[in-house]
Amino acid sequence: MTVLKKIPRFVFSFWMALLLLAFCKPFDSFAADIGNCLLCHKYPGLSRIDEEGKFKLLYVNEDIFNNSVHAKVKCEGCHPDIQKIPHEPAKKVDCLIQCHIIEPSSEQKFSHQDVQNFLAASVHAKTDQNGNPKKYSEDIPICLDCHDNPLYRPLSFFKRVRPGISEAALGRCRVCHKKDEFIFRFYNHVTTRLHKIRNPKNIAEVCERCHDNPEIVARHNLSTKAVYSYGETFHGKAAHYLDESIPDCLDCHVKPGESVHQMMSHKEPQSITHENNKGKICSNIDCHPKASPTLANYSVHAEFNLDQSSGQYFFKLFFITLTGAVLLPMMGIMFLDLFRRLFPNASLRKRK
Amino acid sequence: MEKQIDIREKDGRKYFFRFTLNQRIQHILLAVLVIVLVLTGMPLKFHQAVWAPYLYALFGGIKVAPVIHKIAGVMLIILFIYHLIYLCVTFYQGPVRALKQRNELSAGKVLKALITHPIVPSLKDVKDIINLMKYLLFITNKRPEGAEFTWKEKFDYWGPFWGIAIMGFSGLIMWHKELATRFLPGEVINFALIAHSDEALLAALFLFIWHFYNVHFSTSVFPMEPAFLTGYLSEDMMVEEHYEYYKQVMKEQGREKEILAPHGSRPIQSEKGSETAN
Repeated sequence: MTVLKKIPRFVFSFWMALLLLAFCKPFDSFAADIGNCLLCHKYPGLSRIDEEGKFKLLYVNEDIFNNSVHAKVKCEGCHPDIQKIPHEPAKKVDCLIQCHIIEPSSEQKFSHQDVQNFLAASVHAKTDQNGNPKKYSEDIPICLDCHDNPLYRPLSFFKRVRPGISEAALGRCRVCHKKDEFIFRFYNHVTTRLHKIRNPKNIAEVCERCHDNPEIVARHNLSTKAVYSYGETFHGKAAHYLDESIPDCLDCHVKPGESVHQMMSHKEPQSITHENNKGKICSNIDCHPKASPTLANYSVHAEFNLDQSSGQYFFKLFFITLTGAVLLPMMGIMFLDLFRRLFPNASLRKRK
Repeated sequence: MEKQIDIREKDGRKYFFRFTLNQRIQHILLAVLVIVLVLTGMPLKFHQAVWAPYLYALFGGIKVAPVIHKIAGVMLIILFIYHLIYLCVTFYQGPVRALKQRNELSAGKVLKALITHPIVPSLKDVKDIINLMKYLLFITNKRPEGAEFTWKEKFDYWGPFWGIAIMGFSGLIMWHKELATRFLPGEVINFALIAHSDEALLAALFLFIWHFYNVHFSTSVFPMEPAFLTGYLSEDMMVEEHYEYYKQVMKEQGREKEILAPHGSRPIQSEKGSETAN
């Protein structure tokens, strides 16, 4: 027993779990799993309680992983701290590390550092221009807040055919690239960036997590629950009905030619939503090319409150009042009429 | 000399002419178009409601339903313009021509004819509403003696009249927003959306609750008052709703002796009424 006590609890439970699971399911072959990590992590239910008392599910669904954008990334690509099996608890993944791919133009190992650089200068930066943490910086999203694989939809470059990787498109690749593995790897990687892999509703749902959170809206003094108010426009309603062709949050808030990570506050002069620039949003060649800049003065994020627009507020109030003033008396008369018909001859004063 | 109102008799009952074929066709077109517009518009207004996607799917979803809505909207605007022309023509052929024939045509008299037109709200409507309230609250058993068009019918007429004008105009602004915002500020789209959407809800509730109660669900007419199809209103309904006009028509036709007692003086049963008349 004394020997057993000297073994760290984690290592002990790990081996015990492994022993137990070994009897449950035979080992499979793991084609993409060079580090043989799925030896253990393929088992549903593999989990532990970490040092902070939080439940951690350590199971990796091979099917989901192999169909994800990171399918070809080796486990150690994101978990470089793990060098041997069994391993100590893994460190939190850092999306900015140099990883799996040699970037062809620079022949350097790829990193998402540039994305971080853009983010650091955007409205979603955690620090201000002087490098000091912004107030409530904990509310600012990190990579995983927006990049959650479950929202990703299957690639379908030719949307009208069927979801998934289009055979019609792959046929073009095969002319030069003989290996299907190469095609799938690069086709996936490149095309996910050539067209949107989330529909407008999905995009709105991502932004909604923060921008419709009343506490965050209040803390950051935002003028509107942005996705709610977007949802009340025709664009938002069409998005709700899964229209792919209508603009979502990013189409108006990201400057053409820039990335979502470069999104700026509407107060910044270089922002597309800045007062001086927003006239160009609606008249985009793909949207309303004949529109004058005035169209962009339409209040997309109208919430009908006095602070935002007293004109719209009172106009709305007028119609609400009109509806009540018309319908309530009429419904009262209907009720009285129905009741009166039960006693057609009863009255205080009779006709002679 | 105004044309006498046609009274038809069938199975011992009298039926009074109310609506021309032209008016009935206009009404049916209006009804069908409004129903289509409501069914294709409300799923957008209440897009978060459970029923909305199912109803929208019936009309082809987001790709097709808006097209149907626009087609129905344009047809309604055309019907509205036609009705405006129809109003002008019938007004000219009626009171204006009569004034002309009497050599009394003047702006003042035309204006007077317009103000006293049976469909235009008048002080009598206010009195009728007060009298109706007295009747409904059991203060009297005497119903207001309605004219050719009662205050309820005027509401039914002017409500959609205002509604079509508002919704047609705001709908066109939203549809042709690029053109509209060349002359108007962008915020006008917001106002158009409020007007279109909220007026639509008011109109739909008004028609499907109030109008349907009066012409379908009231115990006097259930399951429906067929005058919108036949063009003729039964004597019972003339007595109940248009007693003043009923007496006037009967007198004009020299049938004073056949005039039935007003509603409330006897049970509303046509057999008894017919017996009284006979």
